[in-house]
Amino acid sequence: MIFSFTFEGFHLLYAAIAVFMTVLTSLFTFEYLGHEPHKLRYWFFVALTMLAAVGVFLSDNFMTTFICFEVVSLASYPLVAHEETKEALRAGETYLATAIIGGMVALMGLSLLNNTVGTLDFNTLAAACAACADKNALALASGCLLFGFGAKAGMFPLHIWLPEAHPVAPAPASALLSGILTKVGVYGILATTVLVMTENETWGLWILILGTITMLLGAILALLSVNLKRTLACSSVSQIGFILVGVGMMALLGEENTLAIRGTLLHMVNHSLFKLVLFMAAGAVFMNTRTLDLNKLRGFGRGKPFLMFVYLAGAFGIIGIPGFSGYVSKTLLHESIVEYAHVTGSVFCTVIEWLFLLAGGMTVAYMTKLFVVLFIEKTSAKEKKTLRKRWISPLSRIAFGVPALLIPVLGCSTTLMDRAADLGQGFLGGAVTPDVSYFAIGNLKGAGISITLGAIIYFVFVRGFTMKKRPDGKMVYVNRTSAWLSLENSVYRPLLEKVLPAVLGWIATVFDRFPELFFKVCTETGAFVSRVCDRLRTGW
Amino acid sequence: MAYLYLLPVLLPVLAGILIGIVKPLRKGNQTAWLSVAALAVSLGGVICVACMGLPRLELFTMTPVLTVALRFDELSGLFSVLSNTAWLLVTVYSAAYEAHDERKYQFYAWLLVSAGAMHGLFCSENLVTMYLFFEMVTLLSMPLILQGCTRESVAAALKYLFYSIAGAFLGLLGIFYIYRVASVTPVFTAGGIALDLTGRENIFLVVVFLTLIGFCTKAGMFPMHGWLPTAHAVAPAPVSALLSGVITKAGVYCVIRILYYTVGAEPLRGTWVQYAFLALTLITIFMGSMMAYKEKVWKKRLAYSTVSQVSYVLLGLGLLNPIALIGALLHVVFHSVSKNTISLTAGAVIYDTGRTRVDELRGIGREMPITLWCFTLASVTLIGIPPTSAFLSKWYLAEGALASGTGILTWLAPVILLVSALLTAAYLLPTSVDGFFPGKNMPAVRRRHEDMRMVLPMVIFTAAAVGIGIWVTPLLQYIERITGAVLS
Repeated sequence: MIFSFTFEGFHLLYAAIAVFMTVLTSLFTFEYLGHEPHKLRYWFFVALTMLAAVGVFLSDNFMTTFICFEVVSLASYPLVAHEETKEALRAGETYLATAIIGGMVALMGLSLLNNTVGTLDFNTLAAACAACADKNALALASGCLLFGFGAKAGMFPLHIWLPEAHPVAPAPASALLSGILTKVGVYGILATTVLVMTENETWGLWILILGTITMLLGAILALLSVNLKRTLACSSVSQIGFILVGVGMMALLGEENTLAIRGTLLHMVNHSLFKLVLFMAAGAVFMNTRTLDLNKLRGFGRGKPFLMFVYLAGAFGIIGIPGFSGYVSKTLLHESIVEYAHVTGSVFCTVIEWLFLLAGGMTVAYMTKLFVVLFIEKTSAKEKKTLRKRWISPLSRIAFGVPALLIPVLGCSTTLMDRAADLGQGFLGGAVTPDVSYFAIGNLKGAGISITLGAIIYFVFVRGFTMKKRPDGKMVYVNRTSAWLSLENSVYRPLLEKVLPAVLGWIATVFDRFPELFFKVCTETGAFVSRVCDRLRTGW
Repeated sequence: MAYLYLLPVLLPVLAGILIGIVKPLRKGNQTAWLSVAALAVSLGGVICVACMGLPRLELFTMTPVLTVALRFDELSGLFSVLSNTAWLLVTVYSAAYEAHDERKYQFYAWLLVSAGAMHGLFCSENLVTMYLFFEMVTLLSMPLILQGCTRESVAAALKYLFYSIAGAFLGLLGIFYIYRVASVTPVFTAGGIALDLTGRENIFLVVVFLTLIGFCTKAGMFPMHGWLPTAHAVAPAPVSALLSGVITKAGVYCVIRILYYTVGAEPLRGTWVQYAFLALTLITIFMGSMMAYKEKVWKKRLAYSTVSQVSYVLLGLGLLNPIALIGALLHVVFHSVSKNTISLTAGAVIYDTGRTRVDELRGIGREMPITLWCFTLASVTLIGIPPTSAFLSKWYLAEGALASGTGILTWLAPVILLVSALLTAAYLLPTSVDGFFPGKNMPAVRRRHEDMRMVLPMVIFTAAAVGIGIWVTPLLQYIERITGAVLS
């Protein structure tokens, strides 16, 4: 087995991010896991996940990507199931099933790809695919790869594991799942887009549509959630949708896709950073309150300016407030959609643009909701309990503070962001560095629309629909979704646990029993015939 | 020097007979260590034979055409080193597993005798020799299934005998026919021997098909797979390991000798025989995995898994192309090591805890961590998740199927491989997951003492299952030499 790695540009950047995130979350892990059992297991699998993820990002060959990808899949299962609660085990089950099914389908895709073009090496793949005449086989192979890598990235309709697994994992692991694991999937989709389906419009359209659905669905789920970490997990789904929209645009825009490439790459980096900060903040909340229920942890952040700073850095970043790094990447993505709408002049693109802004608005709404819960609302004295002497250790403060500081620093110094984006172009392609003035009125307008939409959604939907007055006059968050609404509970689980085993199992049983049944019928018939003959002879 | 061939055949047989008849040898655990010593020496012999490149050794002549002779080629080397190593390690394991069995001398006697017969089979030079040793393996391994001496084990042993003899007779039919149509005295030749088929192509195909089905009985292929789940469930764990890991490969070996060393790939390529054979293997792959998924008795589940996995090998053989053949031969090795591990770990758990159903294994990872780690890694191997070894064989099999040009099967075969891999994950991984993650409400359990004699073979097999995947080049080159000779 030949492993092949490269250390240029994008590969190195993301490998460095993976290591950076693991180190920072590890600083927090010391405090978070404290005296809980099975720490050794946790550390071992965190290290393995990180090594394999670095392997994926550095891979220069689809086979290497896939091998490391599978190691990531399996090694992160113990992180999801670590707490061993009923929910954690169930979420782990969902995660493992998605990971294995996705992995095997991706393997099929690779097998087909290798059979069609005869190489899996990144350096020769693009040319080989361009020269290949059998476009159907290529499309099928890419479809399999999209399924496999999309399952890991959290793309609709395979996002189901993500809102389940992130909340139950220990918070540092949630940050890694969101920041690295989903990006491993995105890396695979990027590689497929750039190398196999180069500038293929149908492919771009598919990704764009799936990305848009993911983006909206994640945001809606986040709005409806009444659990702190689940809100963040659904937000991850939504942000992956933003990234996928960028990937779709990369394919659709063809030669002029520089903006989309830079936007996608920067949004990946940013999202890793935001979720690192936000999940660790959520971890700090959970560590002190032992609950993730929004109604029970109200007002936890009051009188904790450090937590507010950390949360706001993440929230402003993910919303895309000018001056925070998320603004830059969202602007680039938005610009690429506008550009495509301009080039084609189609209504469809304008719709996508507005959905993009709407999803941005929903981001504003759910981040505001969490802010209000944590820092504005008050909890009654009897619900408030303090378990610990101080809410956070100095070491964890470093782990929180460094990435939280990075967000505004990157957001203000756009040259730094541009440099990072330049790194990506070697792998992802794209022409010369475009000159984008991020703080021009036209670009600020997009952020303005999103924030306005967000305010409307927050007051109408969040306060109006997801909150209810209790008899004692207090407003509480209520769960407005029901179990059957989840794709997992109403479609996947019944299908995989009941229908398919029943049908296929019946077929297999028939095959299994058939030969012996056949022998039995033969011997019985033989015995019957000989009895009849005997009877005939004696009677005769 | 050619008499060195006889060392790995005769030494275990003699040692077995000795253990069987000399009473003073039966004290304590002597029999076990005597068997281990005999098998270690015979493994040394096999390696010597493999390295020395000896000429053929004619044992005796029945008629001028029918000679019983041994010869060692690369294929023999692959199978015989594999089988002897497995046998040796399983015997070490048995030293613990059978320690308290009163009739363990019988067990070791039959174990040794069948090891000798296996080696003879893998060194056979022509069809008659192969048939002779094939029958010997059947008859001599049957008492191993009988070891439990219960009503079920007698029934299972009889079933094994019935299926095997029926299969062997189908094989014999083919052997008769091939002796009749062969232009020269049939001796295994890479790429097939010259056959005079003019005017009898159709009957020839029917006979080849029946022969293949006959020998595939040992490999547990549908519709002759019925003996396997029954026999595995009642046999002692070491015997289940050998049945799954090695004895089924005797059937595979015979199929290779028939397909690639006697008939040759060309007369069969694109005929109905190839398609029917492939269809049967695909049915078996799917059926085995699905039945394993449904089965809740651990050993039976593993038996159905064997049914499925050995047919991966047969699929690779039936595709008649070099890539698939590499995949098949790799899978012989990889399935053997991983299934040996899995059977042995299951045996250790059953031996220590008495739990035989998969739903009783919650928290077993806390009780027997090394054992369950071995089980988990071997399971990951068997599913085919990289970088473990069986991933490679499945990759070659899928690539071989895609390149085979067999019509609908070109894509159906990879799809079935995929479904089967998912089912494999579904029937193996829950055991590990429940074992290591029993849940919060699981009461604390004491860690059990894991016997070194059991742990060592498991760990060696596991290391091989995972490790060969990473350092595969020497094995791959060896196998490419075989496939290069038989399929040009």
